[in-house]
Amino acid sequence: MKILVSAKRVSDPNAKLAIAKDGKWIEGDVEYILNPFCENAIECALQIAEANEGTETVAIGIGDDETARFIRQGALARGIDRGILVSAEEASIDSDLIARIYQGVVHREKPDIVLLGKQAIDGDSNQVGQLLAEYLGWPQATFASKVEVSGNKAIVTREVDGGLETLEVSLPCVITADLRLNEPRFASLAGIMKAKKKPFDELEIDDLDLEDTDTKVQIVGLSTPSGRKAGVIVKDVTELVQKLRSEARAI
Amino acid sequence: MHTLPDAFLAAIARGFPDDFASTDADDLRTYGRDWTRVFEAAPSLIVFPRTTDEVSRLLALANQHRVAVVPSGGRTGLAAGAVACRGEVVLSLSRMRHMAPVDVSGGTVRVQAGAITEVVHQHAGEHDMTWPVDFASKGSSQIGGNIATNAGGVKVIRYGLTRQWVLGLEVVLADGRVLELGGALEKNNTGIDLRQLFIGSEGILGVITEATLKLTRNPGKLDVLLFAVDDLAGVLRLFREVRRAPLVPMAYEFFTDVCLRRVLQHRTLRAPFAAPSSHYVLLEVERGDKLDDWIASLFDRELVRDGVLAQSPQEAADLWSLREGISESLSATGMPHKNDISLPVAALEAFTSRLDAVFQARYPGWEIAVFGHVGDGNLHINVMKPDDMAKAAFLAHAKEADRDMFALVAEHHGSISAEHGIGLLKKAALPYTRTADEIAIMRAMKAVLDPNGILNPGKIFD
Repeated sequence: MKILVSAKRVSDPNAKLAIAKDGKWIEGDVEYILNPFCENAIECALQIAEANEGTETVAIGIGDDETARFIRQGALARGIDRGILVSAEEASIDSDLIARIYQGVVHREKPDIVLLGKQAIDGDSNQVGQLLAEYLGWPQATFASKVEVSGNKAIVTREVDGGLETLEVSLPCVITADLRLNEPRFASLAGIMKAKKKPFDELEIDDLDLEDTDTKVQIVGLSTPSGRKAGVIVKDVTELVQKLRSEARAI
Repeated sequence: MHTLPDAFLAAIARGFPDDFASTDADDLRTYGRDWTRVFEAAPSLIVFPRTTDEVSRLLALANQHRVAVVPSGGRTGLAAGAVACRGEVVLSLSRMRHMAPVDVSGGTVRVQAGAITEVVHQHAGEHDMTWPVDFASKGSSQIGGNIATNAGGVKVIRYGLTRQWVLGLEVVLADGRVLELGGALEKNNTGIDLRQLFIGSEGILGVITEATLKLTRNPGKLDVLLFAVDDLAGVLRLFREVRRAPLVPMAYEFFTDVCLRRVLQHRTLRAPFAAPSSHYVLLEVERGDKLDDWIASLFDRELVRDGVLAQSPQEAADLWSLREGISESLSATGMPHKNDISLPVAALEAFTSRLDAVFQARYPGWEIAVFGHVGDGNLHINVMKPDDMAKAAFLAHAKEADRDMFALVAEHHGSISAEHGIGLLKKAALPYTRTADEIAIMRAMKAVLDPNGILNPGKIFD
């Protein structure tokens, strides 16, 4: 079996971001982390591989040298067998092009399962897994909180409003990982050392023979959230109730 | 039941705001104790001054009426230095938390004693600077308490103790006189440095009300690693490598598997390694390009059994919580008898090999959690109360066993209290580390500054 798994870097949600002068991207010394949902996908791929001997795992990332570092340290160091970097400037691609790049890589690699994070925590688009399944014509199981692979199918439990839904999908398929799927392991130092020697391919978008490389979404502008309004101290319950009614419209 | 003189109480009612003093049962319980649980809190009154002037007038009044006063900060101490168990008045600095703007070119900030350590960090952080005294209880501990106890913590290997980061102090003496010591001067060689006298004096010489803190640049990006090694000798071997490595170490902390199991149990965290090891080392370094090669050399020479490197600030925080969660987890999951000793780093190995024999004789089969700051020669030794033993019997037994350990500490020229202080808890053990002459000089200083003995009586010595 072969599993292709995503390793996308995202800006650290705890870091302060500065918006570039043109208002369309972030700038400065941004601290990045591996997308936490991708970490769940990687852990899931490793667990499937550990339970199914002979499974090959491949991590894919799109970006520059920095992204390559996250593929190595976030995926290969944890135990993924090899890595693929598709060179692209992150500011100039959208969810649709990412899905098409993945599609091109799937055609080359022919995996049985594509495991992705359900969304990247910076853009929050939540589109790539679904688009990819459509372009490939494969079944999809999104928001997975449990994955079991047996024979030629996967049993996936997904978290839906008000409960759980269990799906059976035939392979090949696309699965996107939710947070409660597992607890990602730490990257061991021995793993980090080994990761340096693992196979690592670098591709250009042109290498993938995509029919369509246009982006469909343009970022028109970014803005920071407006600051929270300062609290007020009310003098009694009557005033509190009045403000809750007239200003907060909570009652 | 202790009662305060009526005239004292009347003067407080007359001379201070309505919310200045409290006898509320919850307040008495809360402000009467610190993080130790050995002594019953029994203060008579808690006062909450807002200004140095209020502290001064309160102390003058207490001095006049011979009322004992316990200065109180964040009460995170571990030696019962801020415990009031004899009907004292607790003087809480909690309302004095003003912070002046950061002086960037001077690299200083003036704060009131009740400012919370972590809030000071954030305040300085807005200018990319920091006050580098850092420890697990920073969310509660206050600047005044840090200074009065000369707090140490996890970054001492890089930055030293609190003492090195205080430029000036405002101190109120027992009779109400206010001293301004040092100001914001980096250099001030004008006779005996009285400021240093109050740093680490545990509130027996005066009440610290304001301080000018020295700041430093924020460190760059940091890498956090956790190593698994076989034993304490392995911890020390690795430390020798760190000392010589082309790295800037921020912290070198170790803990045993006993500690780790308690933390994982209490905080329900994920285990860092698939297989447990006897000892672990947490290393924090400033990020640099020489780390990878250095790590590879550790594995080549089999200096570590296993290791992990945090991949994100979140993972770094997770690894740190394995270390910083120990003290809290031991207390939450059992009753520890704590010791905080230090040895010359060179003597650690010889000391600990002898210590094992003491443990085996005194605590056969008991659970002993050891962790600490190896770079500072500082060991935190926690003997856990066996479940089937009564608290009183346990404490009596531990006290007895402490003597053997302290004798061993003295023999190796160590200290029976590295960073926790003496307080009430380690009073009896003071002579293991300080000579009779030294203690006599300390008493003489106390007599000059507080002749009526109203400030934190019974702490450090009787």
